[in-house]
Amino acid sequence: MTEKKRPLLDELKKGKWPSFVNEMEKSAAKKPVVNTLMDLVERSYEEKRVHWKHGGIVGVRGYGGGVIGRYCDLPEEYPDVAEFHTIRVNQPSGWFYTSDAIRTLCDVWEKHGSGLTNMHGATGDAILLGTTTDHLQDCFNDLSDNGFDLGGSGSNLRTPSACCGPARCEYACFDTLDLCHHLTNEYQDELHRPMWPYKFKIKISGCPNDCTSSIARADLSIIGTWRDNIQVNQEAVKEYVNNGFDVKEEVLAHCPCNCITFDEEKKELSIDDENCTRCMHCISAMPKALRVGKEKGATLLLGGKATIVQSAFLSWVIKPFIKLDKEDGYQELHDILERIWDWWDENAKVRERVGELIYRKGMGEFLKATGLEPVPQMVHHPRANPYFFWYPEDFAAEKEASEAGKEVAGSEVSE
Amino acid sequence: MADFTPEELRAKILEYLETKDKAKNRDIATAIGVSKREVDKMVNEMAKEGILEFLYLGTSYVKLKDK
Amino acid sequence: MTNPYYAQTDIGPPYFWDMLPQVIKDNYGKWLYHEKVKPGVLKHVGESGDELYTVRIGSPRLLSIETLRWFADIADKYCDGHLRFTSRHNVEFLLTDAGKVDALIEELEAAGWPVGGTGKSLKNLIHTQGWIHCHSAATDASGPVKAVMDDLFDYFKKDDLPAKLKISMACCLNMCGAVHCSDIAFVGVHRKIPRVDDNGVANGCEIPNVVASCPTGAIRPNPKAKSVTINEEKCMYCGNCYSVCPSLPIMDPENDGIAIFVGGKVSNSRSGPAFSKLAIPFIPNEPPRWDSLVAAIRNLVEIWVKDAKKGERYGEWIERIGWEKFFEKANLPFTDKHIDDFIFSVPTFRSTTQFKFTK
Repeated sequence: MTEKKRPLLDELKKGKWPSFVNEMEKSAAKKPVVNTLMDLVERSYEEKRVHWKHGGIVGVRGYGGGVIGRYCDLPEEYPDVAEFHTIRVNQPSGWFYTSDAIRTLCDVWEKHGSGLTNMHGATGDAILLGTTTDHLQDCFNDLSDNGFDLGGSGSNLRTPSACCGPARCEYACFDTLDLCHHLTNEYQDELHRPMWPYKFKIKISGCPNDCTSSIARADLSIIGTWRDNIQVNQEAVKEYVNNGFDVKEEVLAHCPCNCITFDEEKKELSIDDENCTRCMHCISAMPKALRVGKEKGATLLLGGKATIVQSAFLSWVIKPFIKLDKEDGYQELHDILERIWDWWDENAKVRERVGELIYRKGMGEFLKATGLEPVPQMVHHPRANPYFFWYPEDFAAEKEASEAGKEVAGSEVSE
Repeated sequence: MADFTPEELRAKILEYLETKDKAKNRDIATAIGVSKREVDKMVNEMAKEGILEFLYLGTSYVKLKDK
Repeated sequence: MTNPYYAQTDIGPPYFWDMLPQVIKDNYGKWLYHEKVKPGVLKHVGESGDELYTVRIGSPRLLSIETLRWFADIADKYCDGHLRFTSRHNVEFLLTDAGKVDALIEELEAAGWPVGGTGKSLKNLIHTQGWIHCHSAATDASGPVKAVMDDLFDYFKKDDLPAKLKISMACCLNMCGAVHCSDIAFVGVHRKIPRVDDNGVANGCEIPNVVASCPTGAIRPNPKAKSVTINEEKCMYCGNCYSVCPSLPIMDPENDGIAIFVGGKVSNSRSGPAFSKLAIPFIPNEPPRWDSLVAAIRNLVEIWVKDAKKGERYGEWIERIGWEKFFEKANLPFTDKHIDDFIFSVPTFRSTTQFKFTK
């Protein structure tokens, strides 16, 4: 095979940042198909356009997701990459690997594909990039026989992901890795077999720093928090101060609640925890002196997504605090999640994310359907318009209360 | 809602899909007169056995394998 | 077909516990604090007094199995065979022996893998597939990312920025990844409406799904052709109809390019999470090195580095000085494109007389 020149891609081998072109060339040494891929990408660079088209129907037996069909739009000219499918491999929680696990993945992918990967895709899966239809089942077989399974794609639960949590972080407010593993295993059907209006993403962060960016890109964001007091180690505070750390400038000045005071004489911090919103700034600034509280759990937020269709949404609070205990199998979380899924599956239009459904139907309807209590923590502020619904059950409750001789809150206003 | 044994439900789903290139689970459920959840469950079973396969064309469909 | 063997389904991912090094198993949930030893190196200390060192390198995300095997060898040599990846495409080597940290760094750097990206540094740039693998890309991903990271390389290696700096890129508006909440986000955009291939739409697409896919109601059924029509005045070129129906191609080499958004974040630290907002509506695609994009991002980074107070993320800095001052300092034109005219626009209009005059 004659070596084609690729002057444009060659430009991207220059510079200090590791080059993806070098990675392709390393793979091409064993896998000629990657030479064809580079020729195709060089052509995209010349023409400033993509040369891939939509996926067809590819998959492995029993699954409706995990494989993304990818076809070249110039199959005659680039027959080696006419089919170049992606396989999503469900990552271990927190992306921890042994070197042997990495080698196993590599061996399977050397046998069945291009040798190119993404470690990892945005959702969290290990991405195996580029194989043909006739390798898919065999590749899956080898993955499964070696302890790996596929992740999600299409209108189903997407592969849940979690931050490193208690494995390597003192901020972790619950066991993110265990919860991620648990949910993934409990919902294998939902992950592998599409039956919903659209995708549903779960991301799990152990503290409000939200290292998985769950609030921006997960339908359900599970973010660790605590409901008691930040633990202060005054000896460590003194140590920070004695080492020249400017507590006022670095910590107090940034506290969004102004709920920290610093006694310069004693070199002691005190925190008005009742007025703290647990933003993490002070803890992140002084990790040796301050620790998250002891009564730990998570806040559940719902609805996050990227722009398409009805604008990007950040997830919003649907449950300010939930205990996440392994011992009871996370039962409360399961109950809430399954009620959300039932309502969404029943009511959503095709390709309508749960956040968009709530936008269309209203939080009132969502709360009623899921049995979650309206609380002020759910909103930045209450509505500023007078357009709200009254339901027969409101009047029934009013009547019942008045019959019971109790005064109904708000009724005196209507006089 | 109709009450079917698993065998009957399976037969009803097969019968319906024989008449279609592809279908959404909800449409199957409506046609047969059972809850979508029951169809979801049975469709998943049948997919695992290799009788059905899934399609993704902007949204999800099922079809008989090799039809 | 012959035989086929079908392996077991639904076994789930490998159990993470089996992937953890002993020091993590011993200190699981009992870490006391951490220190930033130097850029790219973290030290976690457990209640037990055990120490865990993390050495972080940036990767281009697209990795060959040759490289992965080399990482595995390095993990065997220095880390008893343990490593992890991060949500931003970094690789982290986990060690207990402080004495091995410098040798590990030296070996990684010698092979071209930069150690950095911790603390107040430029983080690794998360991105999408682009021309290497995606059908809907309006620009490449790996190429522009490589060009930008080459240019900002020193900021990855140091940790003396005003605050952390997260730059993200998505090659179309589908925005795989949390691009829309980054300090600086650049996104592939189209500027012309899709072409309608009536035959293809009639034969391959579900018309109701296509109509419903449009955020602006620009798509109407065209019953005569069993296809659709697109209202040019309403279309905002999002490309969602193309995602649903391949016969509505929107890709356009001459007019596709990149838009830049700034000031987003996801952490709850201090100010809450926020979207990135439009700074530059369009930069043309300039393969192979995207010079205009690289220059624009360098400018955006430098004005923040120069002007922000210690601890201020990009968006916090802009909130303090005001968006009008941002456009002045960045020397960027403010245009009709910057004023929202989608469905949540009104609350973004300045309904107060409090603003600053600019030159």
